[in-house]
Amino acid sequence: MVHLMSFEKCVRCGSCIKFCPLFTAREDEKFTPRAKTYILQVWDLLEDDEELAKEFRRLVFQCTMCGRCEEVCSSDVDLLHIYHEQRSKALKTAPQEFEYLEALKKSLAESKNIYGLDQEDRAVYWIDELIDEIPDIEDRVYEPGKTAEVVVFLGCLMSFRSSQMDVVRSLFRTLERIGTDYLVLGADEFCCGHPLYLAGDDEGAELLRSHNREVMQAAQAKTVITGCPGCLIQLKNYHNLEGIEVLHDTQYFDRELGRPPTLDDSEEFAYHDPCELHRIMGVKTEPRSVMRKVGVNFREMDLSCCGGGGLVRMTDPDLSDKIAEVRRQKEHLGDTTVVTCCPSCREQFLSVGIETRDIVEMIDEAYQKEEE
Amino acid sequence: MKIRDVVIGANASIFYRLDFKKIKGAYYPKTEEDVDEVLARARESRLGVTVKGGGSGLSGACTGGNAERFIISTLLMNRILTINEHEGYVDVQPGASPDDINEILEPRGYKFYVAPSSRDIATVGGILNTDGGGNDTWVNGTMRDNTIRAKMTLYDGRKIVVDHKGVRSNDGALENELNRLGFTLNDVASSHGTLGFITELRVAIRPLTELEVVGAVAHFDDATELGQTLTKMIAAKSPIKYGEALVEAHPDIREDLQLPLLILQFPEDYTDDLRTITDFTMLQPDEVERMKEIRIKLPKRNPREGIQLALFEGYGIHDQSLLKMQESVDRINELLISHDYKPFAKYGHAPSKWYVGSNEPAYGMVMHSREIKPEGKSGHEVLKAILDIVDLCDEIGMTPKPEHKWPYGDRIKRARLEKIREVVGQGFNDFIFCDDCGEMLGSMV
Repeated sequence: MVHLMSFEKCVRCGSCIKFCPLFTAREDEKFTPRAKTYILQVWDLLEDDEELAKEFRRLVFQCTMCGRCEEVCSSDVDLLHIYHEQRSKALKTAPQEFEYLEALKKSLAESKNIYGLDQEDRAVYWIDELIDEIPDIEDRVYEPGKTAEVVVFLGCLMSFRSSQMDVVRSLFRTLERIGTDYLVLGADEFCCGHPLYLAGDDEGAELLRSHNREVMQAAQAKTVITGCPGCLIQLKNYHNLEGIEVLHDTQYFDRELGRPPTLDDSEEFAYHDPCELHRIMGVKTEPRSVMRKVGVNFREMDLSCCGGGGLVRMTDPDLSDKIAEVRRQKEHLGDTTVVTCCPSCREQFLSVGIETRDIVEMIDEAYQKEEE
Repeated sequence: MKIRDVVIGANASIFYRLDFKKIKGAYYPKTEEDVDEVLARARESRLGVTVKGGGSGLSGACTGGNAERFIISTLLMNRILTINEHEGYVDVQPGASPDDINEILEPRGYKFYVAPSSRDIATVGGILNTDGGGNDTWVNGTMRDNTIRAKMTLYDGRKIVVDHKGVRSNDGALENELNRLGFTLNDVASSHGTLGFITELRVAIRPLTELEVVGAVAHFDDATELGQTLTKMIAAKSPIKYGEALVEAHPDIREDLQLPLLILQFPEDYTDDLRTITDFTMLQPDEVERMKEIRIKLPKRNPREGIQLALFEGYGIHDQSLLKMQESVDRINELLISHDYKPFAKYGHAPSKWYVGSNEPAYGMVMHSREIKPEGKSGHEVLKAILDIVDLCDEIGMTPKPEHKWPYGDRIKRARLEKIREVVGQGFNDFIFCDDCGEMLGSMV
């Protein structure tokens, strides 16, 4: 449901200010949710000021879209929807101010992935790495006519980034171990559309989604799993996959693992809950349940953003780094390894030198130890 | 114009449509030295200064009116400077919120006992300037009762330290003159930023006691029965640790509650004595928490259609107006409806304590009110409704909530502040003393 004027519901109480990772990092009130809704509330007093309008268009992209403001808001202001709508409006009003997004849009339009790499390579890098360990892995790649109970939607980061290879390896090894009947979409997987959605380009996102929808229906999948919370948002909320269950990989493994082997390890990890997973998609218990099942000793981190969401990594990399750095200091992350379950959060932590692991790696490690 | 200079005007009052061109500087100091620097710049530019805390207040004092001015936010002056458990105080910068303070104190087994519902963002400097409190002012007093001293910088840069006995300053003449006037923390309390910039506060803390309390709810036929019950509680000095009355609520937010009702927490051994005052039903802890949650969210919730606003946020109902409370509520509603406002919610701390302009304490209920905003009202029409409410308060013996007294002529407080400003100087929130203050506020609605 679209609430075109929902910013008017903001009573400007300010309860969102101190939770906002941008305020914490920048110590400037203009980045806060209250500031953004306030600007919209008094826009009629400001709209003649073109410089200010330009500054506001930039400001709406300086948000990690973590949703914490919306969670604490007692006035039911649909803040994420407002930001999305304002981003879309900004792009349409002044596309010349967002040329840095053009490369992304071009990559997605032409190559169907965020890196602009050859789409045929989607299943090349990780197959090269895994073929010795899983000789039949190539058979798991979708081709027209192949069907499976489960389709794995890897997402762009896990398909192309070498930093995600260990997670991809762990994911496939675990699926093989528990005997899942699965296919990976490979070159037939297009970007889920999340980056375009975050940029306010709904039409572009829909073009990608419609292709994915057709492929997953052709594969006769009963379940789609993904390790990327951004992809999960798109697959579950916007792909209209009627009759197909969409799960985050931690949800799938929590359901399927039964009683897995446990790690006998005293190391204490810090668990970072990806905002898009726990706050937007409401997946809170399963990641913790899986960690407990495999005996991960973890402490909870504050439920705040890593700094990598909302395209901020692209629109304002300094701000993104600063958010991560502030978190490292506030949460005394020094030598602690952060466990999470989002490739984007992992990339963000890695970029500021914080060691991270994905929950799927912990599952795999527990099995490996048992096998040894 | 920069966005930074606009968003510093964001505040929870109905006075939020500022003439942003008149904000000549938005500052976020972190230290007293930073404040000195900004004030020096203001003097050089011959501009007035408005100090803003979290902007959660409803008086509009943090807007600074409509003159060319600097606005200085204390949001980044939020450090806890000293913790002295032995002597029972903490020194804090003015931008710390009660939640900020208690986040540090509670693991040490101590607490700062001032808890307005906006305690997550309201700053202690702002709370002293409105003499705010929370639902437990009945037990713990208002901010002035919990403040030991305040360090202030005046517009001309001179420094003073104010406590409940008087003033100290490096400027002997200033110290003598202020002490001759009997200047104390009572004057700073509820001064709405008109005297100076509070750079540091020493506030009282006490051990975090896990007092065993039980929860209950009392239902009433009407608000008069509620008011009479509160009068008896006040007379009996009932040891109510938490008291919140829900008087009226729109069906969109009322849930399954039967109103009026009074949510209470009190020591278990007071149960029998309380029964001599009113009938009530005991509640399980989770039921109490659920009701508290409903209450705390009332000021921020919206109807399914339309938007709520706090036209006139607080009514200090006491003595006769409390004894005839339903009549008081009916008169308020009649007036609201005559101005096209649909009553949305009425609720508040009860029993409660606040201070009037003469610094005498008053006891009763601070009833907050929310209305559904009518379409198409001009700022001046809104202000007219507010001023009619002020007249009604005068007529039926209610105190406009302390935070709202200043624009509408708490003559005693205003005269006192004017006298003090003859000594400490002007420069802070001068608009409050202008004859056209009401007009100015009307333009910002």
